[in-house]
Amino acid sequence: MSTLPKALSEQDADFQQSNASRRQRMSVWFYGLCVAIALISVVVLVVLLVSIWVQGQSRLTADLLMNSHSELDIERSGMWPAIIGSLFVCGVCALVALPLGVGTAVFLEEFKPKAKPLRWLHGFVQLNIANLAGVPSIVYGLLGLTVFVYMFNIFGQIKVNESSGWELMGANHKYQVLSLETGNVVFVPQTDPDQRQITIDQPVQGMDAAGDPIEIEVWQPGTPKPTDPAVRRRTVRSGAIGATVTEKSWYYFRLPLDKSFLAGGLTLALVILPIIIIASQESLRGVSPSLREASMGLGATTWQTVRDVSLPAALPGIMTGSILAMGRAIGEAAPILVVLGAAVAKNAGPQNLMDNAVTMPVLIYNWAGRQQDEFKELAAAAIIVLLVILLLLNSAAIIIRHKVQQSQS
Amino acid sequence: MVTVSTANTDNGEQNAQPDRTLIQIDDFNAWYGDFQALHGLSLQIPRYKVTAFIGPSGCGKSTLLKWINRMNDIIPGAHAKGELKICGEAETPPGRDTNILDPALDVVRLRRKIGIVFQKPNPFPKSIYDNVAFGPRLHMKTTKAELDELVEWSLRKAAVWEEVKDRLHGPALGLSGGQQQRLCIARAIAVGPEVLLMDEPCSALDPASTLAIEDLIFELRSQYTIVIVTHNMQQASRCSDKTAFFFEGRLIESGDTERIFTKPEQKQTDDYVRGKFG
Repeated sequence: MSTLPKALSEQDADFQQSNASRRQRMSVWFYGLCVAIALISVVVLVVLLVSIWVQGQSRLTADLLMNSHSELDIERSGMWPAIIGSLFVCGVCALVALPLGVGTAVFLEEFKPKAKPLRWLHGFVQLNIANLAGVPSIVYGLLGLTVFVYMFNIFGQIKVNESSGWELMGANHKYQVLSLETGNVVFVPQTDPDQRQITIDQPVQGMDAAGDPIEIEVWQPGTPKPTDPAVRRRTVRSGAIGATVTEKSWYYFRLPLDKSFLAGGLTLALVILPIIIIASQESLRGVSPSLREASMGLGATTWQTVRDVSLPAALPGIMTGSILAMGRAIGEAAPILVVLGAAVAKNAGPQNLMDNAVTMPVLIYNWAGRQQDEFKELAAAAIIVLLVILLLLNSAAIIIRHKVQQSQS
Repeated sequence: MVTVSTANTDNGEQNAQPDRTLIQIDDFNAWYGDFQALHGLSLQIPRYKVTAFIGPSGCGKSTLLKWINRMNDIIPGAHAKGELKICGEAETPPGRDTNILDPALDVVRLRRKIGIVFQKPNPFPKSIYDNVAFGPRLHMKTTKAELDELVEWSLRKAAVWEEVKDRLHGPALGLSGGQQQRLCIARAIAVGPEVLLMDEPCSALDPASTLAIEDLIFELRSQYTIVIVTHNMQQASRCSDKTAFFFEGRLIESGDTERIFTKPEQKQTDDYVRGKFG
């Protein structure tokens, strides 16, 4: 029969007692510490919300929601174009980032490539995702500027009155010429896109401001001017110069994207892509391998398994990650400032695909930096609106996620 | 090692006709990366019989089972050499032998022919109906009525219809463990396999559910060739016709279940079936 080791056989009862109570005390202390730390973050949040509310609540008016930014009438400045602009930019961002992110996650988690180059790609992508998630968003802004706004100047530079890049659709070019009637213009259709202006010295077919075809006549200086206003309206001085104007349909599209909301949305998509990929990967990894085995065992292909088993089971987690990512995207100011610029003077949302946009964070950044107290209050009020919109979008997504979860179990 | 003689059915078995080999395994070796899990084993699995694989943990019986329908494909680094084929003459109508290890083989069709039931019941988080209809929807073009009929037939075959017929569109995860496992069997037979592989199908179940599954296995062998991996010696002796004993990646002995359990030829088999180790 073996004797107990010394440490077990000779026990110091006093020490045991004091040690036990000391450890108990430590545990209580630690518990208190954790509660205190948790409280600090809550207190900070409450202070933030209260101070913003106090500052901004007087400006929470219909004007704020429905008007646009105004330098002259600060009292009635609003953020309507910024709300619409943010929704457009984030819409593009979601449409691009969600399929790309979930697709990448599926490739990384569900497909274990056997071929060597694909295996290499697999490892390379995996290695890069984690690093990309830590890159500051302003760096993505610079990337977006090069890749989306300028497109490496492959398609030429966009310059006012000189070049519009490669216009692919939705653009209708015409020359605008002053007629003899003051304040009235006529238009001549443009045939050669490279010719930015024309000189009119003989009668041509054209259009009036409403787009109806008219015969444009030419008045030679030195001869009597027509007096009938209707004739004066379609007559131009000989040698009058017409400059190009472009009528843009909503689907106007050109390369490079220039400072358009599309470029802004694409840049934001880059910012949140790693977040979505990592969240989706975690979520797919959480799907029980036995479900995949069951599906494969029934003769499902990898694609069928992903579509019918893995993705549905991972969807709630993927949606949670996406909600967080979209929250980040809607509040992101730095990359938008780089890509779209800091201008806030815009009185409507984007009118076509290539239109610029103001977003809420940029407007808040602009207002908060102003000297006037009115703008500071407006900034606080705009923050409240931003938070409310964020909350609304998140609750909508959470409700959808809940529905998805219920339909599965 | 020792291979079963295919004509050896003299131990009072009810089916008098000689065994027809369905799956032929010869000099089969399998690896996980560099680790060799199976060493040159040879075995015939007869048609319309229940063949049990027994042996201690890590002896390679599950590995062999999962090679039969190439489930090991999804494990990185798993590879095998040797002969593993489905015999053509055992099929109706007679066809050519199918080499299971052929890299060009369509595993989707192979797995439809050779279904598998896993250790832990793993119904999809969908309704009972959708679970059973999952396989048919992958492989077949059916009308709603045909699918309804197929689902009912499968659930009846798996002896779980009576318990679930009133809640076909309720969640499968709401069933008990034993019901879930029978649902998984129904799901497997709904695609019309010839072979059912069962990887310790009862090890996660209580005794009553185990008994229900064993009865079911006995029932099913008139139409399916069943291969069952089990740790439970009584289970092997209760519900199998043939038994193969594995030890450390080798096939030690195989033959009629009754003989293996009463008059084993090898000492290791004797020790194992008497419960001396394992």
